[in-house]
Amino acid sequence: MTYARRSLRLYLANRSYVTLIPGGILVIMLAMSLVIGVAIGMATEFPLSAQIQEGMRENNGGAVYSIPGFLISLGALAVNRNFAMALAFGSTRRHFWLGTLMGFGLTSGATAASAVVLLALEKATNHWFFGVYAFDVAALGKGDYVLTFASVFVLAVLSLALGALFGTAYRAFGTKGALLTGLAAAVLVVAVTLLSASNKEIVGSWLGALGVWAAVVVAAIAAAISIAGSYAANRLARL
Amino acid sequence: MTSHPPAGTPSGIVLEHVTKRFGRTEVLTDISAVLPPGRIYGLLGANGVGKTTLMSLVCNHTFRSGGTVLIDGEDPAENPVVLGRTCFIREDQPYNDAFKVRDVLSAVSWFYPDWDAALAERLADRFHLPHRTTCKKLSRGQRSALAIVISLASRAAYTFLDEPYLGLDPSARGIFYDELLLAYSEHPRTIVMSTHLIDEAAGLLEEVLVLHEGRIVLRADADEARTSAFVARGLDSAVTALVGHREVLSERRLGSILSVTVRGARTADDESRARAANIALEAASLQELVAAIGIGGIGGVDTESFTTQRTSR
Repeated sequence: MTYARRSLRLYLANRSYVTLIPGGILVIMLAMSLVIGVAIGMATEFPLSAQIQEGMRENNGGAVYSIPGFLISLGALAVNRNFAMALAFGSTRRHFWLGTLMGFGLTSGATAASAVVLLALEKATNHWFFGVYAFDVAALGKGDYVLTFASVFVLAVLSLALGALFGTAYRAFGTKGALLTGLAAAVLVVAVTLLSASNKEIVGSWLGALGVWAAVVVAAIAAAISIAGSYAANRLARL
Repeated sequence: MTSHPPAGTPSGIVLEHVTKRFGRTEVLTDISAVLPPGRIYGLLGANGVGKTTLMSLVCNHTFRSGGTVLIDGEDPAENPVVLGRTCFIREDQPYNDAFKVRDVLSAVSWFYPDWDAALAERLADRFHLPHRTTCKKLSRGQRSALAIVISLASRAAYTFLDEPYLGLDPSARGIFYDELLLAYSEHPRTIVMSTHLIDEAAGLLEEVLVLHEGRIVLRADADEARTSAFVARGLDSAVTALVGHREVLSERRLGSILSVTVRGARTADDESRARAANIALEAASLQELVAAIGIGGIGGVDTESFTTQRTSR
């Protein structure tokens, strides 16, 4: 663990970048939701009508859509920016990967904690005083703190792991390798979708059994595949 | 077959039949050598002969295509204990773009338990390294200075220096040579340094390995290497007569003047014949020897005794 911790410290060297910015993005998403709420309110009434509030609660997926872009790039950068330094300073590829993965866990935890804090504020302020729903939404489990934390955490891990997968594929196999990895991922997604569509009843019963946790479990499986892929590629990564 | 010491014992670096191919190009061919610990080795040779690749293989930055590499009796590949004793800053070492010099120096200290912060500070001051400048904005010389600071202050048991003086002005190079010797005398370690400024660094080197076309073609004690060839300069016919059938490593002509680098030590007879024929005789410098090897190329190789077969006059 000592060896992996060295790479973890390397990952955390720019601490605000890897722990605060993801939360900051959620705050920006909240600000945008508030602006949209104000615009709707100015055209209708304050507080927002029950119908509009319900519509926001069901359809506002900003908390889900806003996170992946930054975290995918963070994952790809993390495995590329620090890799050459870690190796130069005597790290193994395995410990560099482990340390970086631990860092991903911290980033994901910080992001999920930010979402939970913002959810708590949202509830405490009666949805920002005029009925705006940004975190108490269907996509995050309608105000369930555990589900909100788990959803954001797994989504963050998946995004970081996807970025790391492409980043390490680039390190190991070059541009063509990264491109092929992207194609393979796309083929996998299409294949799973087609298989699910042709076995609707079976897949439906599995997902039904998981209930509100279905999306979290599916994302966790995808994250596990990405992590395994990045580990395999990392063993072959070169300077 | 080499008998290996028990794993973990400081026993230096062992290379056995190490080969590296990039696609169809063989960059390193059947490299075998034993580098006992606690010495300063010069890795010499022309551009592209595989010096950096060889150091990369030893440190597992690059994967070997064949052969065995051992450090202290253990394979360094994914071996955290062994790799933890190495420090290899490449000549074109990439750093995190967002890192400033001070960030890099902090980061290195996490990796080396024996990191000498005071030495790093002193060296950074002597090289006038700007602590608050991001690494991507450093000049070539400043990047070299940073690599030197990291390498020496790491106190890594196996320190690899890849063309460490690039971009450094003469006074900065002087500082480097002084500090390298000081660090080495205070904390003995194994240092492998690739360099083109051979004569300038010659005083530091205890042993040299000369690479040519992916093979070690000369492995000798630095002083011994300097007496392994001499230069004769004079009229073509006189020089040709003096050299006789001895092996010529390289030759240069300017009109009727011929300058040849000849393998072997000059004899008293050579001296008297040279005086009589107005031929200048002098010991070949390491630089001249390496340049001669680079110019001439070498065929069959015996890495231990430098008994390569070459065209004789």
